Amino acid sequence: MLNIQTRQEGTASVVSIQGKVNFEVTAQLRDVIRETVATAQPKLLTINLEGVSFIDSSGLGLLVAARNSVDKSGGKLHLCCLPAPVKKTFDQTNLTNYFSIFATEQDALRGA
Amino acid sequence: MAKGTVLVVDDEAPIRDILSFYLKRSGYLVLTAAHGLEALDEMSRSRPDLIISDLRMPEMPGDELCKRVKSDPATRDIYFIILSAMDGTASRIGGLSIGADDIIPKPFHAQEVLAKVDSTFRLIEMQKEIKRQNRELTNLLQRVQDEMDLAAALQMGLLPKLPGEAEGARYTHRYLPAAGIGGDIYAVVPLPDGSTAMMIADVSGHGVTAALISAMVKTSFENQVRLGGEPLGWAQGMNEYLCRSIQEEQFATAWLGRLDPVGNRLRYVVAGHCAPLRIVGGARGGLQRSEVLRGKGFMLGLDEQLPFVEHDAEFLPEDRLVLYTDGLVEVEREDRTMLEEAGLRRICAELPAGAEEAADAVITQAQAFNQPAPFVDDVTLVILDRKA
Repeated sequence: MLNIQTRQEGTASVVSIQGKVNFEVTAQLRDVIRETVATAQPKLLTINLEGVSFIDSSGLGLLVAARNSVDKSGGKLHLCCLPAPVKKTFDQTNLTNYFSIFATEQDALRGA
Repeated sequence: MAKGTVLVVDDEAPIRDILSFYLKRSGYLVLTAAHGLEALDEMSRSRPDLIISDLRMPEMPGDELCKRVKSDPATRDIYFIILSAMDGTASRIGGLSIGADDIIPKPFHAQEVLAKVDSTFRLIEMQKEIKRQNRELTNLLQRVQDEMDLAAALQMGLLPKLPGEAEGARYTHRYLPAAGIGGDIYAVVPLPDGSTAMMIADVSGHGVTAALISAMVKTSFENQVRLGGEPLGWAQGMNEYLCRSIQEEQFATAWLGRLDPVGNRLRYVVAGHCAPLRIVGGARGGLQRSEVLRGKGFMLGLDEQLPFVEHDAEFLPEDRLVLYTDGLVEVEREDRTMLEEAGLRRICAELPAGAEEAADAVITQAQAFNQPAPFVDDVTLVILDRKA
């Protein structure tokens, strides 16, 4: 099970994830992201990955899908606080250049 | 059509008659017997759904009849109701302990018996329905399992035939899908100019969908290779095809390479996949140093516009190439550590000569590291040795 928390910061939604993001939990995370995008319709969706110890390919696929759905609704997706193992996975797949990635949540929310 | 068949067993003819009358009037088919032996004889000709039996009878009493009916696999599903003049809890428990399903105390009202028979038949109908549904489910499950077995065999057939021979090289694979069928695939295709095209891919997710996409990945790779060109063009072509063909959240990590045995070069594209290992002189076996053939790249099927990068490395005679999918190195142990690339390199520091022996050594040592859980994801390992 993942520990997922969501909150609003003005027009931005923040989703914080803790745990291992793999095939077993993507359905849970997908539902939270979908609901957040559908109900809050955020201009900016920030996903905080600070508590994520591991992410596999299905988790990456979910984030890519999240970016696409936010794009479609005219919003933006920012990721922040990638721990070293997650950063490595992003580097290996070149997703570092696909997503807007920020060191801190404040930076992600400012979009700086 | 009768609502069901009831066998009434009682040595008193008036009781048999009155029960028969009421039961027949309610639409049941009724058989009668004067004692246990006669009942068994009756049952050898036709099978009742329910037996209502007195306890005290000549020849064979009701408790003995009940024991016989309930101990025979062919008849034990028949409902058994005991008519007992011995009223009270003790006799009820006694009746149920010999295996009867219910007890009606004597004297009884015919209406009471009828109500009990009706409710028993509702139970019988429900049980029949459950059994029928159970049979259907079992059949369905068997059909699904058969289909999966067939699909697994088909998928195995998509892998290159072993022992693998390419121009100036030998290769082998170990393919261990997590759920019978999986999302891993690899291919080796000889090219007209004497070089060899290679691909290993891991489709996101598991099971049937991943397996189906893995077949698409292989086909699109073969189509691209047939068009000629280099791994960069193959990756772009495959990416465009997969972006158009597969759904959101589905993609494949892949490594594509072209081995030129004359120029001793390996051109390759890493598309989000585990970077392979090159072991210089590895085909000779023994102590060696492995190197990671680094490269960064997006996964296939993510976005049509994404660029890929082609890399180039030396690959000499007797060099060894180790291709793998992440299932080999990403098993979390109880101490939360994983083998990872570094661990695989430790294993590859000393491998036997011969691709088959080396593949066995890698799998055995990776499994030993992962104990107690061996592999949880699809695992594919390909070892390619250049000849001397």
